[in-house]
Amino acid sequence: MKSRKGWTLTALLLMTVLVLSACGSKATDNGSSNGAQANNELEQIKSAGTMKVGMMGTYPPYNFLNDKKEMDGFDADIAREVAKRLGVKVEFVSQEFSGLTPSLQSKKLDAIISQMTITDDRKKVLDFSDPYITNDVKIIVKKENNNITKLEDFKGKTIGVGLGTNDETYLRNEVLPKVGDFTIKTYDDVITSLKDLDAGRIDATINNLYALKPIVDANGFNIKAVGEPIKSDQAGIAVRKDNPELVAALNDALKGMKDDGTYNTIFKKWFGEEPAQ
Amino acid sequence: MELVFENIPFFLKGAYYTLYVTVISMFFAFIIGVLVAIARLKGPIWLRLIARFYVSIMRGTPLLVQLFVIYYGLVDYGVTLGSLTAACLGLSLNAGAFLSETFRGAIQAVPKGQTEAAYATGMTPAQTMRRIVFPQAVRIAIPPMGNTFIGMLKETSLVAALGVTELLRSAQLLVAQYYVNMPFYLAIGVIYWIMSIGFSAILEQVERRLARAY
Repeated sequence: MKSRKGWTLTALLLMTVLVLSACGSKATDNGSSNGAQANNELEQIKSAGTMKVGMMGTYPPYNFLNDKKEMDGFDADIAREVAKRLGVKVEFVSQEFSGLTPSLQSKKLDAIISQMTITDDRKKVLDFSDPYITNDVKIIVKKENNNITKLEDFKGKTIGVGLGTNDETYLRNEVLPKVGDFTIKTYDDVITSLKDLDAGRIDATINNLYALKPIVDANGFNIKAVGEPIKSDQAGIAVRKDNPELVAALNDALKGMKDDGTYNTIFKKWFGEEPAQ
Repeated sequence: MELVFENIPFFLKGAYYTLYVTVISMFFAFIIGVLVAIARLKGPIWLRLIARFYVSIMRGTPLLVQLFVIYYGLVDYGVTLGSLTAACLGLSLNAGAFLSETFRGAIQAVPKGQTEAAYATGMTPAQTMRRIVFPQAVRIAIPPMGNTFIGMLKETSLVAALGVTELLRSAQLLVAQYYVNMPFYLAIGVIYWIMSIGFSAILEQVERRLARAY
């Protein structure tokens, strides 16, 4: 009895050790092993009948939980419409933004539709559909703050930004070297960063105006957007690399939506205006 | 507060996942804990070393890191686990290590004379373990075991990072929906508290029942 227990335990422990040692060794080339299967991922989604879509779920009006406890918002509507056009159901997985890309790469998700800005860095590890929205990003400060109106004023201040977002990369790699030292404080969702701004724990944040409006409306936050847009971002649907069939199908779906007016209807529903051409 | 009552069904769903992960992990952590404790006390030297290594790693690294290794890391080696599976596996392995120390301490706390007396009556080492040492050790182990279990209940909040909509994640989603923080975080605090009271009560019952045998 004792020896049998011993063997079960040994097996279990050996597995753990193997796992741990495997993690310690260098990952040599995991891109190629993923590539072999990737060709028929569109077919996989179709045969599964559901597309697993990752989103933050804490970023109104883009993606959030509505009164009925369903994922709702601009991103969610786009996801539903795209899935409909692929002939599958959509299953939403809500996760912090910084966890979305790892989840996609580890095949826990089929796509990310969560205001993911298309950037060259991300294109190295992900594939993107055509952009489905363009957002102007502005500096946001407390209402009574008149010291910060442009990026150069960030020097010596504390600036909040979403962890793992394109805005964070932008602040770190472009703004920081240019304007000199400031502290970057990272958040897992937009609403916390705005709350901290309102509470005075950070001096400014950068975000796009659509995201700002509902939060300010609901809270009467004492914050404002200042200056000219510092950049303009295009968000796309992110999928795993080397997945041309899926990307083509997503692009077809997006194009179809734009052509038949569905896209405009969704855009107006959430932002109250026609999309800019 | 009204907001909280309106959203109780949603919280209950979150609480369900929290409880689900906790109970399953408790079960496996218990088994792992017993096996590792025995391995460390009675196993051959190489097994003892492996067990020590395991306990040292699990105690010496943050649970969140362990969960990330299991959930995101293993995928690179072709092992893709669902988020619930990964959460349960991570918590079981982690709590198992802590429990094994509890059990080891408890087994060692049983006076040596008990074992010697058992041997003198002709019992085999396995019988001694099962009939004499274990029943006494279990009683000693219950209060610290309760600590580990209740600690685990709260640590399940880490699995929100793996995309499980458990209690903490439910609160975060509601905060984003209604733009208020306090009531929701207080509410999940209360729910965690109620659940841990529940666990304490169960453990107390177990303790009382075991004490009756004396």
